[in-house]
Amino acid sequence: MSQNQLDNQSSIDKADLEKLSKEAEQEAAPSSLRIVWNEFKADKVALTAAVIIVVFILFVMIASLFINQSQAMSTNIMDSYDKPFSQFILGTDQGGRSVAKELIMGSKNSIGIAIGLTVISSTFGIVFGLVSGYFGGIVDNIMMRFYDFMMMLPILLFIIVVVTIIPSYNAITLTLILSVFYWLGTARLIRARTMSESKKDYVSASKTSGTSTFKIIFREIMPNISSLIIVDTMLSFAENIGVETTLSFLGFGLPNGTPSLGTMISNANDPNNITQYWWTWLIAAIEIIILTISISYVGQVIRRASDASQRLSDD
Amino acid sequence: MWKTVLRRVLIMIPEVIVLSVLVFLLAKAMPGDPFTGSIGPHTSAAQIHQLKVQAGLYNPWYQQYWNWVVHLFHGNLGTSFQYQEPVTRIIGERAINTVWLALFTMVLTYAIAIPMGLYAGRHQNHIGDNIIRVYTFVTMAIPPFVILLIALWIFGYVLGWAPTTGSVSATASGTMGTVLSRLQHIILPGLVASLTGTVNIVQYLRSEVIDAKHSDYVRTARSKGVPTTNVFRHHILRNSLLPIAAFAGYSITGLLGGSVVTEMIFSYPGMGLLFLNSISYRDYTVITALVLLYGLLNLLGTLLSDIILTAVDPRVRVQ
Amino acid sequence: MSLIEVKDLEVHYPIRSGFWNRVTDEVLAVDGLSLNIEAGETYGLVGESGSGKSTTGKSIVGLEKPTRGQILYKGKDITKPRNRRELDYNQDVQMIFQDSLSSLNPRKRIEDIIAEPIRNFEHLDKNQEKLRVLQLLDIVGLDADALYKYPHQFSGGQRQRIGVARAVATNPKLIVADEPVSALDLSVQAQVLNFMKRIQRDFGISYLFISHDLGVVRHMCDNIAIMHRGRLVEIGTRDDIYNHPMHIYTKRLLSAIPETSVEGRAEARAHREAVEREFQENQSRYYDKDGKVLPLVDVTDTHKVALPADEIDKEDK
Repeated sequence: MSQNQLDNQSSIDKADLEKLSKEAEQEAAPSSLRIVWNEFKADKVALTAAVIIVVFILFVMIASLFINQSQAMSTNIMDSYDKPFSQFILGTDQGGRSVAKELIMGSKNSIGIAIGLTVISSTFGIVFGLVSGYFGGIVDNIMMRFYDFMMMLPILLFIIVVVTIIPSYNAITLTLILSVFYWLGTARLIRARTMSESKKDYVSASKTSGTSTFKIIFREIMPNISSLIIVDTMLSFAENIGVETTLSFLGFGLPNGTPSLGTMISNANDPNNITQYWWTWLIAAIEIIILTISISYVGQVIRRASDASQRLSDD
Repeated sequence: MWKTVLRRVLIMIPEVIVLSVLVFLLAKAMPGDPFTGSIGPHTSAAQIHQLKVQAGLYNPWYQQYWNWVVHLFHGNLGTSFQYQEPVTRIIGERAINTVWLALFTMVLTYAIAIPMGLYAGRHQNHIGDNIIRVYTFVTMAIPPFVILLIALWIFGYVLGWAPTTGSVSATASGTMGTVLSRLQHIILPGLVASLTGTVNIVQYLRSEVIDAKHSDYVRTARSKGVPTTNVFRHHILRNSLLPIAAFAGYSITGLLGGSVVTEMIFSYPGMGLLFLNSISYRDYTVITALVLLYGLLNLLGTLLSDIILTAVDPRVRVQ
Repeated sequence: MSLIEVKDLEVHYPIRSGFWNRVTDEVLAVDGLSLNIEAGETYGLVGESGSGKSTTGKSIVGLEKPTRGQILYKGKDITKPRNRRELDYNQDVQMIFQDSLSSLNPRKRIEDIIAEPIRNFEHLDKNQEKLRVLQLLDIVGLDADALYKYPHQFSGGQRQRIGVARAVATNPKLIVADEPVSALDLSVQAQVLNFMKRIQRDFGISYLFISHDLGVVRHMCDNIAIMHRGRLVEIGTRDDIYNHPMHIYTKRLLSAIPETSVEGRAEARAHREAVEREFQENQSRYYDKDGKVLPLVDVTDTHKVALPADEIDKEDK
């Protein structure tokens, strides 16, 4: 019935449909992906950082396929403390293990855990923040009590204790244990933005349009805080590389025999290593520095791209 | 305001209870029992059983928890089997070192951060501001333990400017000598740890100054002819001082968590290093006491900050 | 039977304070309000800001949960979410918002914005849906190339048209228009109002037109309700309200309509001051001892006013 009424009132009918949508497509606004891409093209440092991250992660993931972990981690006293660029390209450690191979395997494990941790903890933090920010009231109150409690826990100590209690664990259980604790920052950030976003009229409009609560939260509000989510995820990723490597450095990260950038850096705990045999730990440390700085920088550029007034590129 | 503070303290009580239950359950989950150290090879199974019954280890968990809490209130945290001494005394000895380091770090943090933040805000987008922005960006991105380690390597080992282990050297004598030696040992870890702590304060102060520069009251003051420096000192700094002071409470969490890493890298005998040692010796009484203590300190720090913020801004009130 | 019947609607907001943050007091945003909206009419709801008119509108579309009272549609009380779902209530009752920018999701293209209610209430295939959207755009006077643009690419007036297009998309029976033009330029106001009228004529829609501007309301509305402090002070036809106002608050609002002719300026001003004086002096007669509005009393079939009975007799003489 309403279709007929509309047909009567409007001069547009089915015949025009294709022509008009074609015209409209030409007038379409640039997508946000394109804006981010333009921003990267305008900032060569950011482009370099992004290329470093992508190439490095790809290299590590592919190269590690060709390395036999147990062979690379087996000790060989004969080759102990070889200098770089001699027999081994980056030298060997005390046990005669190739630093280069250890670095590749360690990076794969460290980055893998950081990615896993970021995916799990950010997803949880985002959902937590969206739900408590959208509903407000008593739901928010209860959720924030829980959040306050988690904030108060001495997280590092807790994780170390839990890791010592659990008799056998691997990379996956470690990632899960860490995820329990590292969603807090994301949740707070997302909650604050969701609260201000939920007050806007477009949310009311969606309610009166009959859209379900689930869809309003995830399809209406979430896209509006997507830039915040992307930036926060990038920064969390950089931070999470630090989380795993710190634990491994302290000796409570990945189990023995599983190389990590953190365990490599812990070579520096030996006064001989830190001065004489610098290559056993410094290379891994520099790798972490380059990686975390690059990731954070890319995060900053995306933040800039999402804020029209700060863009470097002009379009 | 006192109502708000009191309410905030009351909210804390269930948190403390849940924390203590959690710590107690973790302690229960740890392998071994409190007699691990005192049982000799000739102790028979029956004797062990007898000991356990006496200690109430076969009671239901809530009863054991209650006993534990009662002991806590009497200041009895048990005996460390590694040192064969009361836990309170061991922690007490180490706590002094950690407190020194934390205090020093905090003082340095403010001493560095406040001028930096003010300068950056005042000279927004000038070269100094840009350098400070790069600095905050880098110290935020790199994991602290890497920065600490590289500082130890360069200043401790390569240049030899600072000691690489310990808190007071054994050769130090006299009050003056002890204090100097202590200072010598905490200056590098304290300085580096404070650098990573400055970021939040610098960023907050910078944006605060930039906002204030465009605010009406600063414009009025300047148009009245008040010199720029005075405007900054009297108006802007005074307005942001208490919120910055509130960071102190929140940063306790970071300082304590960081103490584990810092003390390990610099072999500095504080509570953090004690914790790591106790973990490797499975010295559970010490571990439990430390986790509880750290949690309580975090709680008090947050409480302190919340109270400062309530005092500053009536809009920040407990919901 | 009326399209919508509001019966004794009350919306209270709690004020929390004290040691336990208990509810210690309530703001009576809407404090016992009844009105009927007939099919095809434009019903004006007028009052100062804070009088509860927006809250009333939001309750009618189901955005606000009333504390007490009923809102009947097709004989069912739609203050209960279950009844709203059963009736597909929002297919029939839609809303136009005051702030056109914030009422359109900035991350969605115009096509998706207008199609949102269609997707939820009707199941059309892709081409039918697109055709419907294009026709709706045409009706509100926008070109087809708006389809894939984002809200920020339009002017305020254009955005409000998009809001109207979305509201009429499901062919509703009633649209609650909450100050639809007060954020727009005067010249644009007239445009938007005119095509709202045209749409009403073509589709037979009722409007609940919420405004603080009696000038705009006169242009739009058949029946008018004046709201003050959460209650109605006067209901009547356009003629009743504009030509025979009885309540002092109504008179006060009317005297505040800006006078554009130069000659009448002094006269209008004197009138305004007289009304204000009367309001200040006789306030206690028009409101009860708590400052609340009195119950409504019939004056004629169409005209009701919140006055004590003796006042009405006096006015009639």
